[in-house]
Amino acid sequence: MRRRASVWAWVILVLGLLYFFIPLIATFEFSLRAIKGRYTFEAYRLAFMDPAFVRNFGYSLMWCVLTIIVSLALVVPAAYWVHLRLPRLRPVVEFVTLMPFVVPAVVLTFGLIRLYGSPPIVLIGSPVLLIAGYVVLSLPYMYRSVDTGLRAIDVRTLTEAALSLGAGWGTILLRVIFPNLRVALLSGIFLTFAIVMGEFTFASLLSWPAFGPYMEEIGAMRAYTPQALALVSFALTWGSIGIIQWLGRGAPGQGQIAGAR
Amino acid sequence: MAFLDLLRLSKSFGQADAVVNFNLEIERGEFVSFLGPSGCGKTTTLRMVGGFEMPSEGEIRLDQKVITNKPPNQRKVGMVFQAYALFPNMTVADNVGFGLKVNKRPTEEIRERVREMLSLIQMPDLGDRFPYQLSGGQQQRVALARALAIRPQVLLLDEPLSALDAKIRVELRYEIRRIQQQLGITTIYVTHDQEEALSLSDRVVVMNAGRVEQIGTPFEIYNFPNTSFVASFVGILNQLRCRVIDAASARLSLDGQEFTADSPLKATATEIVIMLRPEEMHLGLREGENQLSGTVESVAFLGAVVRIHVRLGASVITLDVLNERNLDLPRVGVSVTVSFPPHACWVMAEN
Amino acid sequence: MALERPIRTDPLPITQGDAQPARPPRGLSSWKNWIGLVPFFAFAIFFLFLPSFSIVYRSFESPQHTFTFDNIIAIFTERNLVNAYKASLTVSLITAAGGALFGFLLAYAVILGGLPRSLRTFMTTFSGVASNFAGVPLAFAFIATIGNAGLITRWLESAMGFDIHQTGFTIYNIWGLSIVYMYFQFPLMVLIMAPALDGLRREWREACENLGGTAFHYWRFIALPVLLPSLLGTAILLFGNAFGAYATAYAFSGSFINLVTILIGAQIQGDVLYNPGLGNALALGMVMIMGFCMAGYAWLQQRTARWIR
Repeated sequence: MRRRASVWAWVILVLGLLYFFIPLIATFEFSLRAIKGRYTFEAYRLAFMDPAFVRNFGYSLMWCVLTIIVSLALVVPAAYWVHLRLPRLRPVVEFVTLMPFVVPAVVLTFGLIRLYGSPPIVLIGSPVLLIAGYVVLSLPYMYRSVDTGLRAIDVRTLTEAALSLGAGWGTILLRVIFPNLRVALLSGIFLTFAIVMGEFTFASLLSWPAFGPYMEEIGAMRAYTPQALALVSFALTWGSIGIIQWLGRGAPGQGQIAGAR
Repeated sequence: MAFLDLLRLSKSFGQADAVVNFNLEIERGEFVSFLGPSGCGKTTTLRMVGGFEMPSEGEIRLDQKVITNKPPNQRKVGMVFQAYALFPNMTVADNVGFGLKVNKRPTEEIRERVREMLSLIQMPDLGDRFPYQLSGGQQQRVALARALAIRPQVLLLDEPLSALDAKIRVELRYEIRRIQQQLGITTIYVTHDQEEALSLSDRVVVMNAGRVEQIGTPFEIYNFPNTSFVASFVGILNQLRCRVIDAASARLSLDGQEFTADSPLKATATEIVIMLRPEEMHLGLREGENQLSGTVESVAFLGAVVRIHVRLGASVITLDVLNERNLDLPRVGVSVTVSFPPHACWVMAEN
Repeated sequence: MALERPIRTDPLPITQGDAQPARPPRGLSSWKNWIGLVPFFAFAIFFLFLPSFSIVYRSFESPQHTFTFDNIIAIFTERNLVNAYKASLTVSLITAAGGALFGFLLAYAVILGGLPRSLRTFMTTFSGVASNFAGVPLAFAFIATIGNAGLITRWLESAMGFDIHQTGFTIYNIWGLSIVYMYFQFPLMVLIMAPALDGLRREWREACENLGGTAFHYWRFIALPVLLPSLLGTAILLFGNAFGAYATAYAFSGSFINLVTILIGAQIQGDVLYNPGLGNALALGMVMIMGFCMAGYAWLQQRTARWIR
């Protein structure tokens, strides 16, 4: 029985939309007030012209790429092996991917610095800790994306079929598994991108240049540019998630959930 | 005016017509099946009786009262769903008693009724189990008990056995009929399985593309189908294109071999399609029957029945022989004689 | 699992990604089975578990490197720390309860409320975006909305002559922060509850109506009990989510809001008296609370899975 939309559903929806969109509108309006008396894109111009903007954005992009590479290198073999040969280890692996929720960014940073800040292993000077932190942050989402993708294509059967036709492992991974995982991998990649680009905690506490701390600095110094940057950040996130949705059209939905807080 | 009247029922979803002009009068205590392929409108019609779809046109009357637009929770019809739909957070006993609880019956009455229902479905000790602990067949029996507990005037079953294993299906089907007869409750049973429909029902309604093709007893539907759809949907049917030699004496020729039909044919006919059921033919010569010669093309041993395909000239017919332990199965390529009495073949009314 | 391949008599040494001629005989103990997982587990151990354990271990360490319970005690006694925990817990409770309630209503509205299907897709996408919008940009957005010169502030003043800041309202405290945190709590609830609501089978509602029940009966006896584990589990997740948030709060006011995460951050930046054990203890407290949250969430998820198959 097709239920007619109840009044309450509309009321709640409108309230929700108001709550979500008013801040966005306010931010946009605010960002246009750089020059007293009229609306202008001056704040944006200042933002993009700032050499620090380009530099920090560039750094963040670099952290992104590194994080994605490391993350893929860790997660894909692990997920594949668990699916194929060691399904009994699945709960252990999933526990590991839940750990990042138990250990929030601040706490992890604290632990990392204490542990690797002094001999025997000193990692503070290099970006290793930063990348490690980002990888930990993206681990749950990357793993879930790949895991969902592997489940959807029934890895085991595909592998057995390929083996029975005489393919070697290299061929299997390259020609059979990866092409079918393309969407899942891209989803994981874009999600990691969205998370890393906006991340603040690790970069700030570990003192590395990145877009997040840069935004915070601007926020402390200037008045209207921060809002412009906030919108740029929002647009970036929207774009990434939009691409993920577009990639995953038709495939069963994977919820993409919270990033850096 | 019968107990349950469905008059001119129609249902459209936008441009698509799901059910068109459905008319049926059901007597009290009758077991009626809606039979047809997927998408023929049988489930939609059932849901209209249950109140889950509003008819675009038409009327439903139960025991003289019009219920066409009444919401489902005021109709006193019990529904058994294909997917059981047992409430997962409640025990079997709570599920069965739910309808009574909602009607604010006293606890003692509920308990007694639940006990009664559980013994009716022969699961008296499983009251404390949860649905996820039961097998499919058990869940469906609980669903049946739950629907019957509220003493509905009509019982509706929407392909209740489709999700079950073949063996359970057969057992449960007879259970359902036994309970229905014991309680004398008017029942509508939707299925796409003709064996179910034929073996259980007092009457069968065959549907196709939203319309009623034929209503009749199982015997009538099977042996005297009104349309070629009914004839071919229910059971296996041989359709033979023959040349008319003499219409008055119903003499026909199939690729050169002559045989006689039962009743006189239309005088103007030169070519005709003859229908013939596989089980009404035999291998070998029989006195007084039509005889045709052919070659065996394939033999399929189905257990109780042996299905033989025989090529007669340009046509291939299917012929069923009952199994016997000392049966000599004919071999492929062998020549055989197929015989059948004249009354076994008929011409479709629409031809 | 036995995958058959022609077996060579001289198996080649294994390197990752190579074509592997000889399959190991059935038996998980074969080390070749573990190769793919080594990097993953190694990373997890070095950069996740070891730091976490070191936190636990060093919570009991005094500045003189001796064993002590002082740090743990300080959490319950030192005014500053107690307040920090109170504030963090308050914000987390408020946003968990509020987020769970309104988030659930929102999810219900778009999935079961009879609204056009496109709205559901939009809401899901937007929720994915909004839950990632947290942190510094979110703080800026709300400053522009209800801050001193924010849009709503100015509108209320001009349209209604009402200056909310006169009443002592400010977003730079835990109440203001709660309002901001909702921006990622609502979407999180929607994203997680959407599949759970989908799992409510239409036939349950129909069966309930068929047996004479009304919408009230359906929600009271069937839908809410079935959804409860999911609801509670997600609320707990929301709690943990808010408790561990740092960037948003920091972007508001640096170290002026007294939250546990901010305190830990301050320790890292060396803003406070140098007492490593204290920072560890704070971190330990956090990890324990978060651990309980995740355990509770996982246990409740288990219960749901049992019923909805």
